[in-house]
Amino acid sequence: MLASHQDVFNIVQAKFLAAEVVKSIHLNVSVVDGPSINSDRILALVEYNKSCALFVLISSRSQPISFSDLSIETVIPIDPNFSCETEPGAGQHYVILIIKYKQSRFQYNIEIGKDSCNFAAELIKSKEGSSNTNPNNNTWLEKYFGTMNNSNRNSDPVDQGELVVIRDGMVQGQTAINRESMLKYQLKLKEPEFTQKQEFSIFVGTWNVNGQPPTVSLRSWLSWDENPPDVYAVGLQEIDLSKEAFFFNDTPREAEWQKFVMDGLHPNAKYRLVALARLVGIQLAVMVNNQHYRYVKNVSFDTRGTGLLGMGNKGGVAVRLELHNTSLCFVNCHLAAHVEEFERRNQDYKDIDTRINFRKSPHEIKDHDQIYWLGDLNYRITDLNTSQVKTLLQRSEMNTLLKVDQLNQQKERGRVLVNYIEGDITFPPTYKFDLNSDTYDTSEKARPPAWTDRILWRGRGIHQVSYRSHMDIKMSDHKPVSSLFMSEISVVDPSKYRKVHEDLLKKMDKHENEFLPQVTVDQAEVTFELVKFREPQFKEIIIANTGVVPAEFEFIKKLDESSYCKDWLTIMPFCGSINPGEKCDVKLEVNLETDLETLYDILVLHLKGGKDMFITVNGHCQKSCITQTLSSLVRIQVPIMHLSKEELASALNNQGPIYYSVPRELWLLVDHLYRHGLRTRDLFESCALHEELIRIRDWLDFGSKDQIPGTPQAVAETFLLFLSYTKEPIIPFDLQDSCVAAANNFENCRQLILQKLNDIHRTAFLYICMFLQELLKYSNDNGYDAKTVASLFGDILLRDPIRNSKPQASRGKTNFVYNFLMNDLSSSLIPK
Amino acid sequence: MANRSGAAQRPNGQTQGKICQFKLVLLGESAVGKSSLVLRFVKGQFHEYQESTIGAAFLTQTICLDDTTVKFEIWDTAGQERYHSLAPMYYRGAQAAIVVYDITNQDTFGRAKTWVKELQRQASPNIVIALAGNKQDLANKRMVEYEEAQTYADENGLLFMETSAKTAMNVNDIFLAIAKKLPKNEQNAGQTGNNAQGRRLTEGDTGPKTAGNCCK
Ligand SMILES: Nc1nc2c(ncn2[C@@H]2O[C@H](COP(=O)(O)OP(=O)(O)O)[C@@H](O)[C@H]2O)c(=O)[nH]1
Ligand SMILES: [Mg+2]
Repeated sequence: MLASHQDVFNIVQAKFLAAEVVKSIHLNVSVVDGPSINSDRILALVEYNKSCALFVLISSRSQPISFSDLSIETVIPIDPNFSCETEPGAGQHYVILIIKYKQSRFQYNIEIGKDSCNFAAELIKSKEGSSNTNPNNNTWLEKYFGTMNNSNRNSDPVDQGELVVIRDGMVQGQTAINRESMLKYQLKLKEPEFTQKQEFSIFVGTWNVNGQPPTVSLRSWLSWDENPPDVYAVGLQEIDLSKEAFFFNDTPREAEWQKFVMDGLHPNAKYRLVALARLVGIQLAVMVNNQHYRYVKNVSFDTRGTGLLGMGNKGGVAVRLELHNTSLCFVNCHLAAHVEEFERRNQDYKDIDTRINFRKSPHEIKDHDQIYWLGDLNYRITDLNTSQVKTLLQRSEMNTLLKVDQLNQQKERGRVLVNYIEGDITFPPTYKFDLNSDTYDTSEKARPPAWTDRILWRGRGIHQVSYRSHMDIKMSDHKPVSSLFMSEISVVDPSKYRKVHEDLLKKMDKHENEFLPQVTVDQAEVTFELVKFREPQFKEIIIANTGVVPAEFEFIKKLDESSYCKDWLTIMPFCGSINPGEKCDVKLEVNLETDLETLYDILVLHLKGGKDMFITVNGHCQKSCITQTLSSLVRIQVPIMHLSKEELASALNNQGPIYYSVPRELWLLVDHLYRHGLRTRDLFESCALHEELIRIRDWLDFGSKDQIPGTPQAVAETFLLFLSYTKEPIIPFDLQDSCVAAANNFENCRQLILQKLNDIHRTAFLYICMFLQELLKYSNDNGYDAKTVASLFGDILLRDPIRNSKPQASRGKTNFVYNFLMNDLSSSLIPK
Repeated sequence: MANRSGAAQRPNGQTQGKICQFKLVLLGESAVGKSSLVLRFVKGQFHEYQESTIGAAFLTQTICLDDTTVKFEIWDTAGQERYHSLAPMYYRGAQAAIVVYDITNQDTFGRAKTWVKELQRQASPNIVIALAGNKQDLANKRMVEYEEAQTYADENGLLFMETSAKTAMNVNDIFLAIAKKLPKNEQNAGQTGNNAQGRRLTEGDTGPKTAGNCCK
């Protein structure tokens, strides 16, 4: 089972002390130039007391199960000596993170995943935050330097010499999708270069309206400040206490209240709603000044009920958005009531904090640049009764009271809103008032006053300008609270962004081009000398990988061709992979089995993800009587090589007189076998030496005064070759089906031969059959019977159009030939 | 509540340009400067002695336009006549072609016209074709008049520029002009199947939005 990112995160956190907060982790990291390409490293960004460090952890399992599976390889303090940048990584999904610390340099291959951007953002934040920290703040790291298990074990990594790093070359062509995420990741890292901080005023308000419908203007709350804010986040609680609202989460009050909110916004600016989210009575509206609207993006919201069955009489709603390049998150909550229920409130908070999940990244509250937490948190004042509280208030001893404020206490103990900041409270408790008055609860219950309504924040660059309550809005038992912030928003400088973006793309292009597979081939043209029938020749080409990545090569088909090379050529291997610096010998073999003047082919050697190279193969062929047509051969009186070019051309075009009834070569072979081979046992079966066949072929083609060289068996094999490679089979392809159909009746077969076969082929066919009949007279000596001979010659005289396709001894063909072996042929010679 | 979940399709333009990928092929007589143009465009270099291409070289280069980023997959083909029959492998499925001739050699202009004709017949119908009269730095040996080529280009709907790989004149410009002319969205991106057909490659903001689990 794969552990989730969150699981691993928890395991990593367990490796550290509680106060050493793991801010972000990155899985699937490997060391560039490391011995293994296992992505078994985990990067962890850890913060302790505002000092950050980057830890490189090695996991002993592919997925750590417990913190003891993790060992610390490297610790790099994030202080002004720290810098980092990235380069496009070598592989499909990789980017190389280069970290420099003084003279040391670390490089990690990072597999880009969905959490990469968060990690990058955290890293940048830490780096930014480090500029004003003192490098000596790193004392908390000392204990870890001792535990580092790498070979450079050193009490201080800072003094390590420069690490020389060679990029490891496990590379594939990059996909464009991957390029996109890599670009995003790198842009995030470079964000400080193309953004600048601008202050935006953010008004955050919270009010528990006690189920009342809106009746009074909210101006005195929402437009309290002189200048119109840039952003509003207005949170209400208990806008509807009805059962309907509770069960159906539907209420007309939403629209009513929202109208009052909009009407209450600062009159000196126009605002536009960005998002409105509601859970039962908890409602949160975020508005921006019109002029900023076009810089708002990735808006999303979520809600989380924590009350009874999580249905939402208590709980929280959150809205997230990006304003320019800063991510903002507003959370409005209404936590559990009653003085003694502070633990429940802590738990409610945790539920909201961890379980709110936005549809857009970052998905969790905690991962935003700025978080504003507001609402009726419902924390009370402990240990004091109503009259004691009231007395202290009258004496203006607010600080005494604030010390026993549950929120302050729980926060101090790290039980709630850890790392959140709240400004000094200078306003009186905002709960509980008699309606339409400034008088604290005079009912029987006489609840002690409390600061239930609060606004806190977390994140960089937030400055609280004011924090106040609004006593003149009296319709609820709570008073509204608001806070004005001046917050730093990072704004993209378009020209700088363009430059960074273009530079990055250029770098990536350059990198991508450098990492294309590159090979050289030692010859672009392969020429074979005189290529002769069935006399294979070999040439070798050497493909050398001159690039930096493995090259996968393959000879590919040209358009409209069925194979990657002509049938007279064999390429071995026709595909493969070559590592950088290595070579591969590729053998080209020609084997000529047809009648060609010249050999010519262009091979396309394709590199996967890269270029193609062309290799031209050519050669001259030697003519042979084998592979010619019968009708050409009967026009040739002398060995084929004795002909002049013109004579040859005219014979091959079936021009000129016919000299013979059967080709001279056929006659020579048959005559030789008739005289020397009839009694040879297994005449057609033995395999003659290749040279012997070549000698006989040359004897036929060049002529000689000597006898045919070679044994009867070699001559017999040449005879079979001759018949097998004639340009057209003795029984032409288009006649073969009829022959097979006629095979069980000799008369039909005879008619076919007489009527359909031309004179030259018919004569040759009958000539061969008569020879075979003669052969069968010596069965006792040569061991052949008619069936065997018919089967052998059926496949040759009626050969298949596709060579080498293991001839299935066709019964029909055998039977057809058999007829001509068993019947008197003299009558067949004369047409009726 | 028309706008409760806020602005979805705001063109932010700054950080989220889309990347379109296009296949571009260079065609033309051998030695007119195809490889040199690519080398100039991709690496900013020029070699007096440029090795002749035997095959089809492959490089990539990205151009930033205002709102989009165009990534070219460039196939630089061999110009020799003997390899002519292989050219369709490279221009088939290409969204753009640069047909190059050498302004000092009239024959290469004739050859360029043949290439244009072949592309118009055989290549994808939406292909953007640019005609490049290269070696403009050798204008004193000019054999092809600018006006003649311009007229021809106009008649055939081609982009046209005289370029010099040597001085870099108009090299980026011709690629830029092509990038601008190429259609940047799926509908216009041609129909020749699966290879890099002006693919839009941004994930980002396009996912369907479902209502939140609160306000209904
Ligand atoms: N003077 C000049 N020479 C060029 C120019 N472009 C290419 N060349 C030269 O022309 C020759 C052929 O160039 P090359 O790029 O190999 O042509 P290709 O066969 O079309 O790829 C090389 O010697 C180049 O240096 C140019 O713009 N001006
Ligand atoms: Mg070239």
